Amino acid sequence: MFYYYLKLASKSIKRTPWLSGLMMLAIALGIGACMTTITVNYLMSANPIPEKSDQLYYVQLDSWSPHFAAREPNEPPDQLTWTDATNLMQAQQAFRQSAMASSGGVVQPDNPDVKTFMASLRLNFADFFPMFNAPFLYGSGWQYSDDVARKQVAVISKETNDRVFGGENSVGKSITIAGEMFTVVGVLDEWVLVPRFYDVTTGAFSETEDVFIPFYMKQVMQLSNGGNTNCWKSPEGEGFEAFLMSECINYQMWVELPTDADRDAYMTFLNAYVDEQKALGRFPRPHNNRLSDVMTWMETEEVVADDAQIMMYMAFLFLFVCILNTVGLLLSKFATRNGDVALRRAIGATKGAIFAQYITETALIGLIGGVLGLALASLGLQAIESLYGDFISELVHLDATMVVLSFGIAITASVLAGCYPAWRVCSIPPASQLKTQ
Amino acid sequence: MLSMNNINKVFRTDLVETTALRDFNLTIDEGDFVSVTGPSGSGKTTFLNIAGLLETYTSGQYVLDGTDVSNLSDRQRSQLRNEKIGFIFQSFNLIPDLNLYDNVDVPLRYRGFSKQERHKRITQSLERVGLANRMKHLPAQLSGGQQQRVAIARALAGEPRFLLADEPTGNLDSQMAKSVMALLQEINQQGTTIVMVTHDPELAMQTGKNVFVRDGQISEHETLVPVALASNQ
Amino acid sequence: MKTNLEFGPICRALLRNKVGAVLIALQIALTMTIVVNAIFIIVERQALMQRESGIDEANSFYLTSTGFGNDFEPKRVIEQDLDVIRNTPGVIDAIQINAIPISGGGWSMSLTTEPGDDQEDVSTANYFVDAHGINALDLEVIAGRNFTATDIRWRERNQPDWPDNAMITKALAEKLFPDIPWQSVVGKTVYIGDDEPVIVTGIVDKLQAPWIGWSELENAMLSPEKMVSESTRYFIRIEPGERDRLMAELEDTLANAYGNRLIRNVTTVTETRERSYRQHSAMIKILSTVMVLLTLITAMGIIGLTSFNVNRRRKQIGTRRALGASKQAIVRYFMLENVIISTTGILLGVAMTIGLNMLLIEWFAMTALDWYYIPAGMVVLFVVGQLAVLGPALKAAATPPAIATRTV
Repeated sequence: MFYYYLKLASKSIKRTPWLSGLMMLAIALGIGACMTTITVNYLMSANPIPEKSDQLYYVQLDSWSPHFAAREPNEPPDQLTWTDATNLMQAQQAFRQSAMASSGGVVQPDNPDVKTFMASLRLNFADFFPMFNAPFLYGSGWQYSDDVARKQVAVISKETNDRVFGGENSVGKSITIAGEMFTVVGVLDEWVLVPRFYDVTTGAFSETEDVFIPFYMKQVMQLSNGGNTNCWKSPEGEGFEAFLMSECINYQMWVELPTDADRDAYMTFLNAYVDEQKALGRFPRPHNNRLSDVMTWMETEEVVADDAQIMMYMAFLFLFVCILNTVGLLLSKFATRNGDVALRRAIGATKGAIFAQYITETALIGLIGGVLGLALASLGLQAIESLYGDFISELVHLDATMVVLSFGIAITASVLAGCYPAWRVCSIPPASQLKTQ
Repeated sequence: MLSMNNINKVFRTDLVETTALRDFNLTIDEGDFVSVTGPSGSGKTTFLNIAGLLETYTSGQYVLDGTDVSNLSDRQRSQLRNEKIGFIFQSFNLIPDLNLYDNVDVPLRYRGFSKQERHKRITQSLERVGLANRMKHLPAQLSGGQQQRVAIARALAGEPRFLLADEPTGNLDSQMAKSVMALLQEINQQGTTIVMVTHDPELAMQTGKNVFVRDGQISEHETLVPVALASNQ
Repeated sequence: MKTNLEFGPICRALLRNKVGAVLIALQIALTMTIVVNAIFIIVERQALMQRESGIDEANSFYLTSTGFGNDFEPKRVIEQDLDVIRNTPGVIDAIQINAIPISGGGWSMSLTTEPGDDQEDVSTANYFVDAHGINALDLEVIAGRNFTATDIRWRERNQPDWPDNAMITKALAEKLFPDIPWQSVVGKTVYIGDDEPVIVTGIVDKLQAPWIGWSELENAMLSPEKMVSESTRYFIRIEPGERDRLMAELEDTLANAYGNRLIRNVTTVTETRERSYRQHSAMIKILSTVMVLLTLITAMGIIGLTSFNVNRRRKQIGTRRALGASKQAIVRYFMLENVIISTTGILLGVAMTIGLNMLLIEWFAMTALDWYYIPAGMVVLFVVGQLAVLGPALKAAATPPAIATRTV
């Protein structure tokens, strides 16, 4: 029977190519717009580390000015001072912990054929790699003891390894970074984080860094500040050390706390730490410390861009207009077939059969519209990539979920659109159209 | 009132040429009640369409109430239809979405009457056909005979000089047909010229004058056979 | 010929065929909601994009020089580089600078007019330039004086203090001292980072901060200094038409002049502007596309539904023609019908437009719609409706009146 309905449907679609085409186009445009914007939003708000996103916490301490908050309304600053970052690291109160900073430095390969280049640096502690499940191609991260000993060890990205060492296992080899010799202890595999949640202060969709070296190298090598540096008062004294000791914030810190009890304990520790510092004349504001898990932190930092959301809501409205449009056109289309329906009813078709016949037709239109819509969505995503540039290239892939979702929406939308017209058509009394026409 | 001289009407398609009316000549005087009969395809409807200015003709001359309509624009023809001609159709042609009052109102709107004038005419003509109490009803809520009465009221509301009826009883049972026919006769007696196209000899017999059309021409030799009347009884 | 408009009967007829009319009205309402809000966003973004940075964008570019190796002498290299660049034919002027206007990255400080950390402060972007800054950035000193060579000092890495004098933009002068004319700000002392006094020795016409999304975009301060740093940026202004040639040429010259350094990020200001405003230009393009498509879809919907109605009402139209309706009267009938539907939709659309705008204000901190967008949107939707209905209406008018006598 379904096959019969399908045949009737395709006949009917062929009979009114313009009207049917218009409906498919409307559905396709609506679906295309929705899919494009949903994909961008979905990837923007994706959980980058679902396996432990609720055990990783971003640390915020309110070290700001007594006169004004770091961010209204009374939000603590989004980064830490050097003093606090190093103190918290020395305390080692969490299951895992890593303070971090970003910087940049010139990499001079030993091989004279490879050109010197500027590399992005992340300064972090040993726990960084296991905490964020960083994938290793060769070797591994370093040990906390290496951090403490200020050892010049480095983990490099796959891309850097390809560039400097031609892709071979470079563990144990040396590399000159910002004028200092480092020993490669690990090479990461491709590591794409969307968003790059561990540091969103310079944009949530940056790539992971080229080179990772121990945090204390910042002090040892006097490395420049990457990302944002904010101060509520000027450093006291001159020189690099004075800056490190100032109230300027430029450092991020993550801790891994497996249980809620751990979390509570760490919070207690933070509050105690702040009290300790208050005694030393720092932290003029009331307690306002935060531990935010990954998704909470993404929300606080408004990782999903407003524009993307505005576009998504607009796209939903757009789809709604397209559905209204389709309902109107279906009503028109079906109404011309009153005679046909009356005849079918007269020769024994049940209401249900008529309804099924017409719903099949709308579902078919929806399906075709959905396929077209999917094509439009991938065009739309390409357009978005070309409009916004490469930095969002990780945000514009249609994955299986999106494909299934778009067909789901397309067919649901068109079937919903078809319900009323089909109901109208199947409630035509059997004999009504036979006599007068 | 109406005079057609050598009217020809040819329908052309790419393949064939059909002559619907051939040297058609007919004069109808003021106050006549003329029936036009003839077999299917004889040209009755074409005659009616031309007489009612619904279609143009290929050649010849047609003078309606002193106006030669040959070279009128569509707008002038519309105006002439609106002012001089009332139509009664076989399938009534009431507008299903409009109630009786609005249906009768349709031609009056195009006439440009004031609201009071229209109201007066609508009520009067609906009263005349005995349906004044059902003004707010929709056509679908009436019987066929009643619907045709509304159509007659619509035709009369503009006080046309000339009423064109196309099988006015074709869709009605005999009882209803009788009352509609009686109404037409009454209207004729009050001075309105009526031309009625019908294939029903019994009806045709009830009019003052009968014209028999065959092959697009008036057939002088054929008249209504009283036997037809007898056989119908 | 005088003809009564048929508002009453059309309305009553519409009420009997509500669904189609309601669908069209809703589509018009939603289309208006989206189109008006989209246009508003577009106009706002365009206004943002048209703001001028104050520098000679078309004829400027910049590059980064990063030295490496232990024997790298920043001061010497910077002096040499600037000499080479300034003496290259086609170059108008060049400076070392810490940040590029509208590029997205830079320095900011807060200024107060009285010392102390509890003072009301005004934030400003800080640019470190020498006496060539005015010429290289294409600024004009509209009060006071430009820096002289003696004003310029070297800023060591992480040196926290500030030179004794500075120039500020007119906008910043007016923000700092709202009660006096901006010309008289010359000679005033402002306090940077709460307590360090700096004397304003000059006012420049206009220079934007590096952050285009910043509320204090027009606040900028020029500080007379050069920076001791391995990694440094040169900002170069050239004669019109010389840009592409000089970009390549200077990159080579500088790279060859000194071995132990990288020349990177040779970028035009035009490109920088494009990148900074890319989000806005993308939004404009996307919303424009959405608007056009949506209006087309709605228009097609109106055409489809009206065409269908015309087909369904052929007999009725023929009857009207027979009863004396001229072709114009038939066209008018459908146009009028559309007027009634559109007006309903548009009125609903006004409410929904304001509603969506309120939601956008609530959720995305957008600004409130200017009132005139609403009547403009009403007119546009009305015209779209009338244009869409014109085709089917003309088709309706072509219905032969003789159809009335056809019995089928």
